[in-house]
Amino acid sequence: MVRQTSRIGLILRRFAVAFAMLIAFFPIFWLISTSFKPYDEWAQWPPVWVTERPTLQNYRIVFAPDAAREFAATQAGSLDYKVSGSAWKAFGDSTIISVSATILSVAFGTLAAWAMVRFGTGGENYPFQFLTVRMFPPIAVVVPMVVLFSVLRMSDTYLGLIIAYTAFTLPFSIWMIRSFIEEVPSELEGAAMIGGMTRLQAFRSVTLPLVKGGLLATALFIFILNWSEFLFALTLTAGDVVTVTVQVANYVSASSGKLYGVQAAMGTVSTLPVIFFGYVIQRHLVRGLTFGAIKR
Amino acid sequence: MSTEAVQRHSGPDARKGWGIPIGLASVLPAQITVLFVVLMPTLIVIWLSLTDWQPTAGVPWYRAEFIWLWNFYDLWYDERFLNSVVRTVFVVAVCVGIELLLALALALLFLDEWPWRKLAVSVIILPMMIVPVDAANAFFMLFNERGPINHLISVVAGRPYEFSWLSHPLWALIPIMLAEIWQWTPLMFLLVLTGFMNLPENQVRAALALGASPPRILFRIMLPLLLPVIVVALLIRSIETFKIFDPVYILTRGGPGAATETISMFMYNGAFVYFRIGYIAAAALIVLVLVVSICMALARPIKRFQG
Amino acid sequence: MTKRPGMLDITRRTVLKSGAAAAMLGGAGSFLLARPNGARAATLENVHIEAAAKAKELAQGRSVVLTILEPSGSLGNVKPVADKWTEETGIQVKYVEVPLGEINQKILLEAVSKTGAFDIALPATFGVPDLVESGILVNLDQYAQKYEPEDFQKDALYTIGDYYKGSLYGYQTDGDTYVMFYLKDWLDNPDEQKAFADKNGYELKVPETWQQLDAMMAHFNRPDKGMFGGALYRTQFFIAWEWWVRFHAKGFYPFDDDMNPQINNEAGVAAVEELVAASKHLYPGARTNGLFENFEAFGQGDKFCNIGWGGTQKYLNSEKSKVRGKLAFGPTPGGMVKDSLLQTPYFNWGWNYVVSSVSREPELAYLFTLYACSPTMSTIAVRDPGGYFDPFRGAHYKDSEIAKTYTEEFLVVHEASMRGSIPDLYLKGQGEYFDILRVNLQAADVGEKSPKDAIDETAQAWERITRRMGKRSQLVQWKFLKSIYPETVRDRLV
Repeated sequence: MVRQTSRIGLILRRFAVAFAMLIAFFPIFWLISTSFKPYDEWAQWPPVWVTERPTLQNYRIVFAPDAAREFAATQAGSLDYKVSGSAWKAFGDSTIISVSATILSVAFGTLAAWAMVRFGTGGENYPFQFLTVRMFPPIAVVVPMVVLFSVLRMSDTYLGLIIAYTAFTLPFSIWMIRSFIEEVPSELEGAAMIGGMTRLQAFRSVTLPLVKGGLLATALFIFILNWSEFLFALTLTAGDVVTVTVQVANYVSASSGKLYGVQAAMGTVSTLPVIFFGYVIQRHLVRGLTFGAIKR
Repeated sequence: MSTEAVQRHSGPDARKGWGIPIGLASVLPAQITVLFVVLMPTLIVIWLSLTDWQPTAGVPWYRAEFIWLWNFYDLWYDERFLNSVVRTVFVVAVCVGIELLLALALALLFLDEWPWRKLAVSVIILPMMIVPVDAANAFFMLFNERGPINHLISVVAGRPYEFSWLSHPLWALIPIMLAEIWQWTPLMFLLVLTGFMNLPENQVRAALALGASPPRILFRIMLPLLLPVIVVALLIRSIETFKIFDPVYILTRGGPGAATETISMFMYNGAFVYFRIGYIAAAALIVLVLVVSICMALARPIKRFQG
Repeated sequence: MTKRPGMLDITRRTVLKSGAAAAMLGGAGSFLLARPNGARAATLENVHIEAAAKAKELAQGRSVVLTILEPSGSLGNVKPVADKWTEETGIQVKYVEVPLGEINQKILLEAVSKTGAFDIALPATFGVPDLVESGILVNLDQYAQKYEPEDFQKDALYTIGDYYKGSLYGYQTDGDTYVMFYLKDWLDNPDEQKAFADKNGYELKVPETWQQLDAMMAHFNRPDKGMFGGALYRTQFFIAWEWWVRFHAKGFYPFDDDMNPQINNEAGVAAVEELVAASKHLYPGARTNGLFENFEAFGQGDKFCNIGWGGTQKYLNSEKSKVRGKLAFGPTPGGMVKDSLLQTPYFNWGWNYVVSSVSREPELAYLFTLYACSPTMSTIAVRDPGGYFDPFRGAHYKDSEIAKTYTEEFLVVHEASMRGSIPDLYLKGQGEYFDILRVNLQAADVGEKSPKDAIDETAQAWERITRRMGKRSQLVQWKFLKSIYPETVRDRLV
């Protein structure tokens, strides 16, 4: 079929691909380009596509609040839109929360998935119960969660967000890991048990090594989800805990203008780890985002 | 606990007779977490939805005034809520529809092997890797009145074009939907492409050999075979798009007026800007029941394609 | 730190003794001076010294940390004062920063979650009623009775937002009144003056009424020549504020004495119509641009007028702006009511120092707020170029550094406006009242609704909100609020 297309058709097709690549890349290009623009070029008309006076000022404001203060005092005429909190705190908090929640989610998910696959625990429909969690609009759960957390003194704490993230990524970890474990024949575990191992030992020494790659992919995938999460981070914190996504949104406010350059700098830095991990597990992305329904 | 159970009950054929305790123990951590974060809040939401509680009411939430079903009655006549529901459904339909068409078209360009194909795939799926809040920010800048989109239009039109996309009640939804489509078409594309790659090649070959035209092959053979993948993709994207919040929050916060308020944004504004907790709890309950029942109905196809 | 060992030497007994002695002294002193509020020797000049001394005494032997929840960017105002406080009292101060548009929400959230995350907060003034009703604010009457010097509140130019239902809940620490900016060159141009006078029959000068301003914006709006009538805000957050001034300037309160909305009377509809008509003469970015873009846009020098605050002037008077030194200032335009000019400048934002009811040290927290708002300390706060608090006390207008930042001409107008500012709608549910107003005004502005429908629907929604909030309770506050409108306008509004 493909071989029959004409030469012009072929060129057109390649051109279409190139165009799609351009569209896909353009907003990211704009983000990166803006992050290097000096203050007066952020909102210039006509817009500056690539600055001729690249500056690291925006990155300095992100990571050194003192630079932000100096910037506001000298350049912008003391406006009320600057943020004096350092992004380091946000990166620290996001790392603590995302890593902890990922470990919990994958650990709980692995155990649950294993039980479901090997013992059929909970019956055929049981895995779907977890899937429902993913269908819940988080905003509907957040409202009572704020109330619940207040009773339990979990508002604005790491623990609060870690538990929320763990629960809301469990559907992914269970379903994804389930699909990996299903690929390991149960006979292998059986054989190990004939050799004298217990069930759990068999799982640990036979199945786990075989799905190691899958678990790692799942973990990275869930880390990406946790790192990118915004709504919970926005509503379940009060200023003591700050995640990167909240920090990005903090450079904005309804009343004042947006700090385009600073926002872009923070955006570029905060999205880098995610892009990196994303490409590491590119092969597994489809499986992850479809709950293991579509495999490669 | 589980280790004990294992030591007592382990054996080659523990699977049927003795597997249940260890199985149960293994799902417990996951089950408890989910119950804690989903069941408890749901119970609270049910209580709150029957009260008129606001933090400004001066009493704790568990002693709020009970007002029966008045919240639901008010919601039924609340245009802003109803509009947000309709708007959300509209956004889901348009975004997911366009995503699918684009994905299909794109995937068809990638059926054969060529030198920089891998690179091209990697670039095209880049958007789905971006943190959604950052992607939304990028779109905010693109559609800024003095942003590159207006600049491009100016260049093409040959006269200055400074349209305020985000403050127009009708057009403001466009950048939001474009951000969503831009970010998630790649996922749809990957799914469809995976589906195409897994198609049995001999059927297509056979059809070709019989002299069928490419469009015929596409519509008669490939798409029907691809249907399961497409259904799964549509379902998953619809569910996710239904929850759309990040781009709305970053781009417009639901404005101008309430012109871009989706359900999530409406509930956020109600609960965290006006703190009408009881009222929003009622809305939350409606949405929960709605979503879960729709999903339950739709879960069957997924189950079927699970195989 | 170095004082620690010494402090530890003091036994509990001596602390008690000295405390009692101080109390007695205080009692005697007040008696002698016959101070009605029972305050000690504190005066406006030394209140910060007294407050710090008292706080040091209260905190003796303990290591106390006060946490302040502050809106992003206010650190420049808060920190210099807090540093001095720590120096003088040994009490440490910590900061938690949240976006300035969201600080009231975060405090309300604290009313639900009670984490004790902060002792002192700086909410936007218009949200104080909601915060009071949620129970998160400490009623400061008892402390004021004890510590506040006699003219402390009288010396502040605008204090309407500090009180709710007759009680004190916070101290205003920012002078956020609306002021108008005009391009002097354009006003003084003889050709323009002649053309304008010929057309309108009156002089081109800083306008006194909205009608005059609208005529001037129409006169100067020549987009083809790159000239625009104005840079007034039309974004959702700001649009209601302009209407609020236009409406009040026609001589009406937003509610009548029974709290029936009268915003949809003839004056209200006319105010919407005029606001919508004026949109035609604004620059193209008016409907999207927030604060920062607005400053920048007006700083280009091609727009006749702008509305704003001290922060606007700080920017316009900086090197970034092309209109530095080329501006004329005026109060927000007024209206002719019963043949005489009524001006209703408007205090629409401002930050209040308040004390959290979850705080373990409410008295120390109060003393800090008193300290920070004292004439001496607040001058330091306002003076800081890295912050955004605007002048709000008599002393600030006499400070040469502050005058340099804002210019003398501006400060004259600002001070007058501050003294006569009408308040925002300080009622429980202010956010809801204003939000529906904003939504409807914006709908009218873009032509989705007729002005009459927009304001009628708003009035209906207001009635519902009032009913939901509890009419009796709302009425108590409304009557109180009406009674503390500035004297200059109180009797002229109906």
